[in-house]
Amino acid sequence: MSISHLFEEMGLSAPVMRVKLMGASDQEMEGISREMSIGLSLDEMKRVQEYFAKEGRDPRDIELEALGQAWSEHCCYKSSKYIMKQYFMNRSFPQALITSEDAGVVEFDDDHAYVVGLESHNHPSAIGPYGGSATGVGGIIRDVVCMGAQPIAVIDPLFFGLLDAGEEDIPEGINHPKYIFSGVVAGIRDYGNRIGIPTVAGSVNFHRGYTGNPLVNVGAVGIAKKKHIIRSRVGGPGEIYILAGGRTGRDGIHGVTFASADLSSDSEEKDRGSVQLGDPIVKEPIIHSCLEANERGLLRGMKDLGGGGLSCVSGEMALDGGCGAIIHLDRIPLKEEGLKPWEIWVSESQERMMVSVLPRDVDAVMHIFKKWDVEAVIIGEVIPEKHVKALWEGEEILNMDLDFFTAGPEYCRLTVPREVSREILEADIPLPDRGELEASLLVLMEDPNICSRELVFRTYDHEVRARTVVKPYVGDPFSPGPSDAAVLKPLEDSWKGLAITTDVNPGMCEIDPYRGTLSALDESIRNLVSVGARPHSLTDCLNFGNPEKPDRLGDFAMACKAIGEVTDHASIPVVSGNVSLYNESELGAVPPTPTMMMIGLMDDVRKATTSDLKKSGNIIYLLGRTRREMGGSAYYRSIDAGCDRVPDLDKQLMMDSMEAVLEMNSEGLLASVHDLSEGGLAVALAEMCIGGGIGLDVNVREVGSLDGNGEEMRVDTKLFSESNTRYVIEVEPREALRVEDCISRHEVPYTKLGTVLGDSLRMTRGEDLLVDIPVNVLDHAWRGGMKRLLEGSQ
Amino acid sequence: MKVEDIRVCILRMEGTNCEQETFDAFKRLGASPEFVHLKQLEGRDVGADEARSLDDYHILMFPGGFSAGDYIRAGAIFAARIKASLSGDLRKFIEDGKAVGGFCNGFQIMVELGILPGMDGTMSEHPEAVLHSNDSGFFECRPTLLKHTNRGRCVWTRDIPIGSIRLIPCAHAEGKLILPLEEADALYGRLFDEDRVVFQYCDGSGETNAEYPYNPNGSRFNIAGICSERGNVFGMMPHPERVFYRHTHADWYRNKVGSEEGDGQVVFRSVLNYIVETF
Repeated sequence: MSISHLFEEMGLSAPVMRVKLMGASDQEMEGISREMSIGLSLDEMKRVQEYFAKEGRDPRDIELEALGQAWSEHCCYKSSKYIMKQYFMNRSFPQALITSEDAGVVEFDDDHAYVVGLESHNHPSAIGPYGGSATGVGGIIRDVVCMGAQPIAVIDPLFFGLLDAGEEDIPEGINHPKYIFSGVVAGIRDYGNRIGIPTVAGSVNFHRGYTGNPLVNVGAVGIAKKKHIIRSRVGGPGEIYILAGGRTGRDGIHGVTFASADLSSDSEEKDRGSVQLGDPIVKEPIIHSCLEANERGLLRGMKDLGGGGLSCVSGEMALDGGCGAIIHLDRIPLKEEGLKPWEIWVSESQERMMVSVLPRDVDAVMHIFKKWDVEAVIIGEVIPEKHVKALWEGEEILNMDLDFFTAGPEYCRLTVPREVSREILEADIPLPDRGELEASLLVLMEDPNICSRELVFRTYDHEVRARTVVKPYVGDPFSPGPSDAAVLKPLEDSWKGLAITTDVNPGMCEIDPYRGTLSALDESIRNLVSVGARPHSLTDCLNFGNPEKPDRLGDFAMACKAIGEVTDHASIPVVSGNVSLYNESELGAVPPTPTMMMIGLMDDVRKATTSDLKKSGNIIYLLGRTRREMGGSAYYRSIDAGCDRVPDLDKQLMMDSMEAVLEMNSEGLLASVHDLSEGGLAVALAEMCIGGGIGLDVNVREVGSLDGNGEEMRVDTKLFSESNTRYVIEVEPREALRVEDCISRHEVPYTKLGTVLGDSLRMTRGEDLLVDIPVNVLDHAWRGGMKRLLEGSQ
Repeated sequence: MKVEDIRVCILRMEGTNCEQETFDAFKRLGASPEFVHLKQLEGRDVGADEARSLDDYHILMFPGGFSAGDYIRAGAIFAARIKASLSGDLRKFIEDGKAVGGFCNGFQIMVELGILPGMDGTMSEHPEAVLHSNDSGFFECRPTLLKHTNRGRCVWTRDIPIGSIRLIPCAHAEGKLILPLEEADALYGRLFDEDRVVFQYCDGSGETNAEYPYNPNGSRFNIAGICSERGNVFGMMPHPERVFYRHTHADWYRNKVGSEEGDGQVVFRSVLNYIVETF
């Protein structure tokens, strides 16, 4: 059906179309939404029709484009809000100062707050891996800066398909995981390094389920004096809007509507224009100039232009300040001639900041931008009437009631949680002998999801700003092991530390989204506690499939349920977050991926503990309960054994062991601490040996619960179970009694495993030798794993 | 003169981003550092109160980072802008015996400027060396051990005993020092004979022919830092400002030595002592 007759040139000085919505049929309205690719459903189009009927006129194309953007899943969370409210939104905790904006603001000390945000840049990275990931970093940095904070850390959890996937497994129009992997890593490297903010943490995950739709989540943390915190809203009528930074171009048009639909085989070609291009050397001066203007008290409001562009920002800033705004669209500096007004209005070009300034401060602000060679233009003003208006050479081309414009729909869609069987505890496989156990351990050490990521992390500057106290790799500087969390010392005059970790195990979430999410949260807490930090706030990035499919939304609801339970029990506020839905391609949905980014605080960074073994003769303990729950474990994945019983969470034990470890840390009783995660006890011990460059002799007889018949646990389950809430600690012999007393006082079950000793990892069960592998062999398997994987897949 | 009267110009432009920690290092030792944007020296787009002259300072620091994005060649754009407007002032600054230092991108800028290695005079018309891409082909952010092999010429390291080894991290993609190939042997010979080699990458036992990862970029003779003939102009690839304190060392938790002093602090103290004695 042709609908061209519904579009009519208005004959204004700028090319603006009237869209004949009045009296348009359902079919015609669907046609309009499709033709303009604004992604509005029929019901939504009807609401629009109603509004303009009341206004007594047809909408202009620019107004429909603006609505398509503002009402997209990405901008208004129309499918997810209802569920999140039900489980964890709208709760208040004393340390959470601001949780309503792009980035959360949380108390650091009496005078300072830290600012934290986490976002997804999934679809852009699928098509333009380099530009997509780079602008992901740029976007989250702006979210932190626009609260008035100095960025101090970048964090990037990444999820790719298998690097060794055969071409035949890659459908037409989908990029090979290896191409996406190298592009994404290069994008983060070149952008993060250039803006001089250290990339201190993150993760690199590989899973078949990300082949059609990789996930690129990017987080940032900033620090600010409380008195410098600024809101993303105007102060009042008469203020002047100044747009600063990059020019506006065609890049990033329909970015959010693109992010709010499944990827299709023609996305590569069709949606390339919606991938923004970043420029770190514009961004870096923007950080300096915006912070300088803010600290001199010259700004009333500041907001970055990300998803939603000028359209969302000018409206939201005004409305949040109880006002409206007039924007002179013909004043926006452009990258190229010939952009239509609607393109300028919804473009998501990068490196742009909007500030609201009192008339008397305009000159001072413009001077600061000029000094930094940041292009800045006065583009409009704040008005009392709650409308957003756009003018072109004085002619009105857009005028909408802000309450209507920003009141995106909110849906309560059908959710169907998946059935999860808890029947099978362990697969019925023959008991492995010593040779097989050793072989399994070495396979796990070079498993794509366990092996060293130095190949990636050494290309990120994780030390710029000279405040990184515990780095991504710990132990011997030239043969380090993995770190559980990064620790920063944000302030010059305080020893107080801020620890950062990011966690999620897709292998568990794809079987059981609820317990998979519980496990991710427990792992975050374990990682922070391991370095000696007390968990303080949570930011999440919830990556799921198409919310219009009840099973996908059921997974989402289960993850939210888990987040609500753990954060309530541990009194950890969810201070900011991001929901990324429609992560689907013709290969199906990605595994449910609720990425957790948790921040912990410690009084003195000099008390931080690391995972590398310290001294021969020290004693090794295991804290927590080892259970028969092998679902989603790396070991079962490696031997192709099936089991749906994903590790459960004992919240009381989670709290008790946290208090026990933190108390021992504060009393300086711990030489090293490492949490047990992928690969279980055996891999954790191996990693501690690698970092310390020294061996271990441990007996696992006491490890693990007896089964129903009083039978002792299988040795492979003892070694490789990934049960939650477990820590390995290293203690000097003279502290053993104090340590055992502390653990018992907190009612945490523990086992004395053995001693730091020799140059190989030796594991026995009573008299039987299970594993005896030289540390340098473990080191070689673990450290070279990714390199071999990349070379093997060429 | 007194240390608090020592004015340090921390020069920046878009893309320099190690300036805060460099500023902090001088501040902590009692000197008076100041962030100065290149445009304040050029007198472009700045008010009278913001204009500055190199003459006002005793130490000129080129901080690390990615000046102008390093898009042409590391440091090239920053260097070109200085040459265009400030080469006279800079030449005088150096010939007055004042101190000029650069770490990482700062070192790259100084080589592009022709003030290092400065084989024949204060500032060569064209670069006499290049800091080339690392042999690994990657950006390398890792700890490096540096052996101080300067016999006393370099005013930035004169308080460091010769032969002492320091743990100072590097973070760069282009750090391999290369001298003109046709006369390389002669030039390297001169660098050593004239005592212009300051730091060499080494392993735990102090071997200065140790290979990757001890030598992160493949630099010949493991050269990590050099100085001018007079010793007041100094550049190095690693980042002493990142280990001003012990707790930012890669392994501080493995051997707690009690002292809070990091291995990089002495570099800043040395140059301040030099200025105190000389001016």
